[in-house]
Amino acid sequence: MTESAPANPPEPLAEIITPSNKEVVIVAEQVDGEIQPVTLELLGAGRDLANKLSGRLSCFLLGHQLGDAPQLLIAHGADRVYVADHPELKDYRSLPYKRVIVDTVQSWELPPHIILLGSTTTGRDLAPRIAAALKTGLTADCVELDIGPYEHTNKADPAKVGHYPGCLYAIRPSFGESLKARILGPWNNPQMATARPGVMIPLPADTQRSGEVMAVPVALDDADRRVEILEIVREVNKSVNLTEADVIVAGGYGLNSAEGFKLLQQLADCFENACVAASRKAVDAGWIPYQNQVGQTGKTVRPKVYFACGISGAIQHRVGMQKSGLIVAINKDPDAPIFTFAHHGIVGDLYHVLPELIAQLKSPKAASAARTVCAVG
Amino acid sequence: MTHTPLNVCVLIKQVPDQSAKAGINPDGTIDRAKAKRMLNPFDRYALQAALNMKARHGASVTAITMGPPPAVEILYEALAHGVDRCALLTDRRLAASDTWATSYALWKTVQHLGPFDLVFCGLQTTDGDTAQVGPEIAERDNLPQVSYCEDFRLEDGAVVARRVIEGGYQWVKMRLPGLMTIANAYEPLKYKTIGGVKRVQRLQRDEAERAQTILTLSLDDVHADPAECGLKGSPTIVAKTEKVSEIGGSCVIHQGQPVARMVEDVLQSTHILEFTAHDRVCASQSA
Repeated sequence: MTESAPANPPEPLAEIITPSNKEVVIVAEQVDGEIQPVTLELLGAGRDLANKLSGRLSCFLLGHQLGDAPQLLIAHGADRVYVADHPELKDYRSLPYKRVIVDTVQSWELPPHIILLGSTTTGRDLAPRIAAALKTGLTADCVELDIGPYEHTNKADPAKVGHYPGCLYAIRPSFGESLKARILGPWNNPQMATARPGVMIPLPADTQRSGEVMAVPVALDDADRRVEILEIVREVNKSVNLTEADVIVAGGYGLNSAEGFKLLQQLADCFENACVAASRKAVDAGWIPYQNQVGQTGKTVRPKVYFACGISGAIQHRVGMQKSGLIVAINKDPDAPIFTFAHHGIVGDLYHVLPELIAQLKSPKAASAARTVCAVG
Repeated sequence: MTHTPLNVCVLIKQVPDQSAKAGINPDGTIDRAKAKRMLNPFDRYALQAALNMKARHGASVTAITMGPPPAVEILYEALAHGVDRCALLTDRRLAASDTWATSYALWKTVQHLGPFDLVFCGLQTTDGDTAQVGPEIAERDNLPQVSYCEDFRLEDGAVVARRVIEGGYQWVKMRLPGLMTIANAYEPLKYKTIGGVKRVQRLQRDEAERAQTILTLSLDDVHADPAECGLKGSPTIVAKTEKVSEIGGSCVIHQGQPVARMVEDVLQSTHILEFTAHDRVCASQSA
């Protein structure tokens, strides 16, 4: 290069404000009128976003005979609750729920700025339908949400070039990697994301908070009834909710077979509030249902004790359980990554270690220790 | 009741094999050029679901994939398992499509090759992990959907399906046409069929028959608007990636000692016993 001409100062990017009513909308989940934990977590995260936007935090609540559920949502941070109370909305169904939410949002003069759902079986069923109907982007399974500016300089699409101040930062672990990706879509509103249960922190309930409760119209037609619920089975006794268990006994591919989960269940049975979980590889192998999966594509958990049995500790699993109070890893392979972040690691065959662990937990010595705890409690 | 044979399609995707070390960069990202590729594991269940419709109800099965030309490999695989015909949607203008743009392009392809009574998808892919493309196609095509389906049967021209919900499951009945995403609790993919394998061998020799069985389609072929596809048509972008902060390094390793000793050490140096089931332990104590 010879002498270069003085570079032109970069032209400041035009500020692009996409139309919105500055509202952060959470879609609540309820079962028999009971608000699910993920909704309170989303309200916690949504409150922060609404404050940063200087906007409103509101919540869609669909169901039937909802009692004081709207007040609970207000106590946990909502400014406004849109209630659709209708017998046909009692239990979640994709089409009627989508219809009510999309009809309502489309009747507003301006779209909401952000719509958030939980990445549960319900949220992951509903969110893409809402996003497709509203012709907007959607980011799955976020672990962090924030508001910030974004400068788009890629001239491939000149209309998009500019500075976007109120952009949703939807942050998720990206595929099979030790990376977190920030996904943005500020070109139109609403900006949508689902957030993983167990990650966001709910605000403590403040019963003094006041908010509005507004009824929204429900207009369903025959096309919305193309899927009908025949039966709902809740396996309450069989599985303690993973996100609420004190102790989780998790198994991975190192179990070698579905039979291994019986041994894990025996260990879980030694505890008061425990359940069995699995890494994705064990789920993929068909040894245990998807609901029990912990990790990037499963649940995020933070129990007091986490037993990782035959789990190598790949990043996808780690992001789901690394905040557990105490992690005990049992693995034959001393080089397994799990040993770099567990608190205690036993290098050995889990088929030898677990029976011994079960035996010691049931021994009189353990009983006396537990009794001391009983007495204290 | 439908009197003509059912027409079903299954959407499948080629993904990097994350269990293979080749193609994984030291920082954990995927080098797509070097990565071993395979049929998305979740799609194996969707494929089996479609093939069951063929075996039990004489359905005609079309497998559709979107991707670069080498993705044709998974179509051969699907043919070897017994699907009737395949389509590969491949177009440079599809590069960097997010779920919205992907669902648009696949929807146009489904429309072009259909109509179908049932569209099957895997629950999600192992590279994107969003589980969004299936429901977005259903919404675009105004189809009802059953996601997280573990089991299903046809009954009176409708699908009766069991789907996963939080803390349990439900049985639902869906009128056709509809879309289902199949969870991994469904039947695993069976072996390739002898007829299917022979057919693939024949196709690899016979270009004319190959062109008839495996359709190669561009955006223009399926009448898709390029402005809705690829980076340009995607409402979301990956703006930034950062490394997940490393944690740990303080693991107490118990190794090379008798198992009983190692277990005892762990129990003594932790508070695990606080969480034991009192009644059970107390009962064994009093026994």
